[in-house]
Amino acid sequence: MKFVDEFRDGELGRAVAAQILDVVEPGRHYKVMEVCGGHTHSIYRYGVDDLLPENVELVHGPGCPVCVIPMGRVDDGIAIARQPGVIFTCFGDMLRVPGSAGTLLDAKAEGADVRMVYSPLDALRIARAEPDRQVVFFAIGFETTAPSTALTLMRARAEGLENFSCMCNHVTIVPPLRALLESPDLRLDGFIGPGHVSTVVGARPFEFIPADYGRPVVIAGFEPLDILHAIHMILVQLRDGRCEVENQYTRVVPYDGNPAALRAMSEVFALRPHFEWRGLGFISQSALRLSDAFADFDAERRYAVPGVRVADPKACQCGEVLKGVIKPWECKVFGTACTPEHAIGTCMVSPEGACAAYYNYGRFARDRVLS
Amino acid sequence: MSSCGPHEAHCITCGDVGVEMRVVRFEDGLAVCEAAGEERTVEVTLVDVAEGDTVLVHADVALVRL
Repeated sequence: MKFVDEFRDGELGRAVAAQILDVVEPGRHYKVMEVCGGHTHSIYRYGVDDLLPENVELVHGPGCPVCVIPMGRVDDGIAIARQPGVIFTCFGDMLRVPGSAGTLLDAKAEGADVRMVYSPLDALRIARAEPDRQVVFFAIGFETTAPSTALTLMRARAEGLENFSCMCNHVTIVPPLRALLESPDLRLDGFIGPGHVSTVVGARPFEFIPADYGRPVVIAGFEPLDILHAIHMILVQLRDGRCEVENQYTRVVPYDGNPAALRAMSEVFALRPHFEWRGLGFISQSALRLSDAFADFDAERRYAVPGVRVADPKACQCGEVLKGVIKPWECKVFGTACTPEHAIGTCMVSPEGACAAYYNYGRFARDRVLS
Repeated sequence: MSSCGPHEAHCITCGDVGVEMRVVRFEDGLAVCEAAGEERTVEVTLVDVAEGDTVLVHADVALVRL
């Protein structure tokens, strides 16, 4: 398959791994964060980290949109789902994220009409087909997904649909990265930048990382060779004393992103003053609400929601995992009380979550091929 | 296309994951796109596309023409 097979070639992978070995300085420890959950998943699915030298450590970042939703927002979603006449729609992973008293799937089992959709457009189709019911879409995701919600709401308004609304939980990628860089817990040497978020926002928003924090960023694709190549590019920058934003994923990511998508987002959304991230706490201007022009479609204005902040379960260490402070297997409940089937923490729910990636691919510790 | 189950591959809609799809035909201002034998109706207003083009699709929106 075009753009796939050539990026999974084992021989080429070993060649890039050998180049990585040539670039690293013995005695120096490198910590590289992959920001995006999609990268975390690929790294463990393909065993990318097995090809890295012992002194190159991959740290998993906060870029899994399901993993960063706090319990209070799940509770708010369930409160809307339980309203009479409501059809509550959301992506599949979201159904299994625990709130303070169960998941959306539990609410469905208790009688709420909760339905899984693949896109906001699917939710809009349900609204058209069921004009006597109110259809609410629980929107999550970074800037990759926000354009889909924006275009769907523009379509709903153009069609005059009055039985469709959206509970907006879209988040933005730059503020949590800045929060991580400000965190005293973590010393990072470079970042593997998110590939598909960058198709929308472009590479420019990441320029603050080299400019303000002196760390290289390489935007990367999701195939194993993309990730190995990006790690090599970061290590070459560090060896050469350079520090800039580079784009490994040029076959997909334009440096300026997709201006039409950004225009649609700016029409439909406005920045929230602050938003709670699971494990990271409140981060200013890090999430989107519906703009005043789309207030009629805002489920949080249509329905009363508890809006209560709920502390994460004490046993769960998703916060430390999301900040890359601990590895998933270092969490006390990893693989015992917390599994993909019965998740305590969100990092175990989504396949993009670091804990699920470790659990599903049997990564309970690191075995190295190269050293 | 992969699903959202715990032992499946990426969740195509929730994560930062795009799927390469081929534009098969246009219907009512949307494009019917195909990948791995499955068709989805996709919003293509953010890109200039013609039949036969390959696009990167996320949550039923084409974000880039490849």
